[in-house]
Amino acid sequence: MKAKSAKDAHHGLPSGKLTPEERLEALRQLYLARYFDVRLIKEKKRGRLRGTLYSSHNQEAVLVGSLFGLRPYDWISPIHRDMPAFFLKDLRSGWTDPNRMGMSIEEVCAQVWGKVGSPGRARDNWSHIGSKRAHIIHSTSMLAGTIPVAAGAVLADRLNGGDAVVLTYNGEGSTAQGIFHEAINFAAIHKLPVITLVENNQWAYGTPYELGCPTKDVADRAKGYGIPGVVADGQDVFDVYDKVMVAVDYARAGKGPSIVECKTYRAYGHGDHDDDRAAKYRDPKEVARGRKRDPIAVAKARLISLGDLTKDEADKYRPEGKNASEVTDEDFPPEVVDYMKKGIEFALESPLPDPVEGGMWVFREDV
Amino acid sequence: MSAIPEQIELPKNYLSAIKEALDEEMARNEDMICLGEDIGILGGAFGVTEGLLAKYGKHRVYDMPIAEAAIVGVATGAALNGKTVMAEMQFIDFISCGFDQIVNMLATYHYRTAGDVAPGVVIRGPAGAYGGGALYHSQMNEAWFCNSPGLKVVCPSTPYDAKGLMKACLRDQNPVVFFEIKELYRKREIEQFLPEEDYIVPLGKAAVRREGTDLTLVSYGQNVWHCLTVAETLAEEGVSAEVIDLRTLVPLDEDAVFASLEKTNRVVVVNEAPMTCGFAGEVVARICDKAFPFLDAPPVRVTRMDTPVPWVKPLETYVLPSVEKILDASRRVLRY
Repeated sequence: MKAKSAKDAHHGLPSGKLTPEERLEALRQLYLARYFDVRLIKEKKRGRLRGTLYSSHNQEAVLVGSLFGLRPYDWISPIHRDMPAFFLKDLRSGWTDPNRMGMSIEEVCAQVWGKVGSPGRARDNWSHIGSKRAHIIHSTSMLAGTIPVAAGAVLADRLNGGDAVVLTYNGEGSTAQGIFHEAINFAAIHKLPVITLVENNQWAYGTPYELGCPTKDVADRAKGYGIPGVVADGQDVFDVYDKVMVAVDYARAGKGPSIVECKTYRAYGHGDHDDDRAAKYRDPKEVARGRKRDPIAVAKARLISLGDLTKDEADKYRPEGKNASEVTDEDFPPEVVDYMKKGIEFALESPLPDPVEGGMWVFREDV
Repeated sequence: MSAIPEQIELPKNYLSAIKEALDEEMARNEDMICLGEDIGILGGAFGVTEGLLAKYGKHRVYDMPIAEAAIVGVATGAALNGKTVMAEMQFIDFISCGFDQIVNMLATYHYRTAGDVAPGVVIRGPAGAYGGGALYHSQMNEAWFCNSPGLKVVCPSTPYDAKGLMKACLRDQNPVVFFEIKELYRKREIEQFLPEEDYIVPLGKAAVRREGTDLTLVSYGQNVWHCLTVAETLAEEGVSAEVIDLRTLVPLDEDAVFASLEKTNRVVVVNEAPMTCGFAGEVVARICDKAFPFLDAPPVRVTRMDTPVPWVKPLETYVLPSVEKILDASRRVLRY
């Protein structure tokens, strides 16, 4: 699929050359990612949701920054902590455009609430969604296991004459998996457009970075494959955007894969079940330091310095620096709250799957 | 003028049959690609893919790094995006290195996406013992995959079936693990003339290799031939044994087994893998569950001992199923 429309033209410009409206849109998407997260934390605390929530709080700049410059037909492969990525993909094509190549907030919320309105009819848990139509590769719990699948998807695309790239999302912990190496090794040999994004949030569940990774930076591993590896400031949406765009251009030009490591910090526990324990295995000072540069605050400062936003405008909505329990709907732009509300409404209206569906779709001919 | 015809029709061995199936499907389906270790320049460790690289080019035939998990994962991704993929495991023993990608990624894809993705991947490779391959080149690990919902599992015993089943698998669009019996690859005695026209052998249909009325022998792969030898020996003793070749383990043609039992009322089930949780146990369990009234004797299994496959011949022979062991089991069942 090759969609070289005028709409694509702005994809690929460095952040400094984006229009002020586009940069403000990035801020709005940060709000949206944050609102999705805090709203779900509240819903979960009220006992309205099944399963475990893997919060993306404090890591939103990685999601928005990495997705912001992709073309609609590009592929992504998010994992458990990247839930907002599923509906942020191709959001630049329009929040309400039903034909955009991302998943809708309705589909994502239906998955969260375990309803048939989700693409996989809620047959696997929250974070394991995806959509062939939206070019989002479905995640599993086997970390790094989707990188070869991503490589295969863009290999097929290249064979069909396309120029799509794929952006895979991985925690720093998953870089220890053998399949991480196997997949990047293969992609490097064939110069496939596979960008391995590493969200280095310093903690793999209860294990700190230095007990999972022997190199100073994860990006150092790129040397072993003869590909570029760069480090981005994972708290700065525009730095992530700029570095990912370079990797995307490089990959789209046929030069091959690269690793983009985004330094960030996990705000909460591994999952919501782990929040109390995380308070014991992590030094509170470290947590405070890790959360000090809230991505929303960092983006605002940048927008003010560029003249896109006044101080007063920046202060209008202030979720930054606050926990899920501290924010209210007033801390977010109304269109963000409305967007999420529509998703929740759809999810609540969508029925639960018929129990017999548990025995269906094992093979293609089953349905 | 010479009377020699331009082309002499020759019978095909099991390996050539698979090679023909791959070649014909590559020609028929431009969206088919092949991935595997040494399958291109070398043409495969056994020569199954010989000629494919020259004919279809490096964009359809990939010499892969030694990384079975990546082979399966890349195959899955390419299939997700519209390709049909043949992924070779150089020896089926090495499939364990790609196990996670097969059972958690590939096998579950259709289920967890409620049919959004039907990955057409055929993982094939040489399997089985009897040749001194020792521990890591002799396994029949089909039970691992029969126990992983979402995978079809196939094991042909003749050249005709090998070709027809392979073609069926490549057109199926469900993931398949295809067990080729390497001891049968070049076995002259089983060569067959294959039809010139395109044909498939449907998945999930067993074959009656020999008809009989006194005893049913059920097997697949190499041991079908052992069972046929046993049936011949028994015939000399006045016993009429029927031999059922399952051909496909998942889905299993249990009706073919039950229909035979209705005639014979006695059964021996043979598999080459270890007994515990092996496929013969599954067949016996289904017989007990659904065809118990047909039975005049307890069903008996003949399998490998619960050991790895040892190297030197006397040890290997000792642990594996054999004509003698199947004969012995048959006589026990007949005496009951």
